[in-house]
Amino acid sequence: MPLLGFVEQLGLGAMVTIEVAVLSYLLALLVGTLFALATVRRRPIVNAIWQVYASIFTGVPSLLVAFLFYYAGSGMLASLFSVVGMRVNIEVNPFAAAVVALGLVYGAYIADIVRSAIHNVPPGQFEAANVLLIPRPTAWFFVILPQVLRLALPALSNMWIVVLKDTALISLIGLKEIMTYARLASGVTKEPFIYFILAAAFFLLMTGLTYLVTQRIEGWTGRGLRRAAPAREETARAL
Amino acid sequence: MHYDIALAWESLPTLLQGTLTTFIVLLPVLVLGLLISIPVALARLERGPGSLLAAAYIIFFRGVPSIVLLYLIYSGLPQFSVIRNTALWTLFSNAYFCAWVGLTLTHSGYMGEIVRGGLAAVPPGTIEAAQALGLGRMQILFKLRLPMAARYALRAYQNELLIMVKSTSAVSAITLVDLTAAANTVFDYTYDPFTPLVTAAGIYWVIINAMRYAFNVADSRLNRHLALK
Repeated sequence: MPLLGFVEQLGLGAMVTIEVAVLSYLLALLVGTLFALATVRRRPIVNAIWQVYASIFTGVPSLLVAFLFYYAGSGMLASLFSVVGMRVNIEVNPFAAAVVALGLVYGAYIADIVRSAIHNVPPGQFEAANVLLIPRPTAWFFVILPQVLRLALPALSNMWIVVLKDTALISLIGLKEIMTYARLASGVTKEPFIYFILAAAFFLLMTGLTYLVTQRIEGWTGRGLRRAAPAREETARAL
Repeated sequence: MHYDIALAWESLPTLLQGTLTTFIVLLPVLVLGLLISIPVALARLERGPGSLLAAAYIIFFRGVPSIVLLYLIYSGLPQFSVIRNTALWTLFSNAYFCAWVGLTLTHSGYMGEIVRGGLAAVPPGTIEAAQALGLGRMQILFKLRLPMAARYALRAYQNELLIMVKSTSAVSAITLVDLTAAANTVFDYTYDPFTPLVTAAGIYWVIINAMRYAFNVADSRLNRHLALK
């Protein structure tokens, strides 16, 4: 049987996992949306920057990126600031390294998702906003992006699960989250199986929760959409 | 912080050894994962208890991070005397074996959904035509459904394969020295984190992009009939 004290620690670790995952996901959404908006229309320079960024961050494991930011992060920041003549000494802790690494890596994936969703918004929507003289920022925020959210939602909710699961992997850089406490508890009690099963249950629970939340958001984003009348069984068969 | 070319050259053998480990872990996983995913996908498409079982398999192994599975298998299972005191112990005390099992389970879960999607995309008329022509179930499966599904699922397979290459970095958690872990070993000896990690990133980048290129070639060969003229 699992000891209650360790289960409590596991719960605290799970909160850290969720914190890291949520922050990285928000950062990834921001990075991805900005890149998507910048590359909707092909502009050579922006596009070249995007190509290099995407190639690097989708071609390297997120764990390696996290190691790089954690071990070499303060050095990289110092040399970055020395270019503009500033001397800084910033300690990079595992939490920050994990969030930035996951945010930048999955930002590259989310940019692709958001861009293809923007392309799938009917062109009439852009034209209508134009004709009605809606200012461009307003049009993007209140007309286009809500529809982008509807179109991109399935892929975005998948990405959230991927980010959450990757947070478990990132614990290897020394982040104190659910896997760290599961390892600790197994080391002390010599009963590793139950603690790792609890960790597995946590991730399954989060997947289920994501499904429910996605359904809710789907109901909200699709509220203005006309649904096709359900086909009647007989007609469907006759056809 | 600068990139030390001399150190990169010096540490290259260690990193290539790590790359070899990455591939030793990866290749059996790809083969086994694909083999397991086909019956899972077929069970998922049929009605009955098999379908529910396959759905549970897919939900479980897709929902649990591979690192949790690796720990469960490598440190969790030996807790039971059934594993520890029988011939199974020779298998489960081997980190490679545990990595193969753990990653295969994850990979087959994802592949199950991909193969199912590919099989579902095969037009029913094609199968009915084959049945009308008197082909047997197995003939239809191996000569029609699977080859067509492979073409439909190629791009999804590309995504999954590239994800698998990157998730092999999880095996460092169970003592295997793959490419990521090898870069960390060099860091431990030299106190230079930047050079080995960037070099390792470069090796991953080459592997990933070589695979992308191979998939583009395969796609233009296999899906020639779909190309826009």
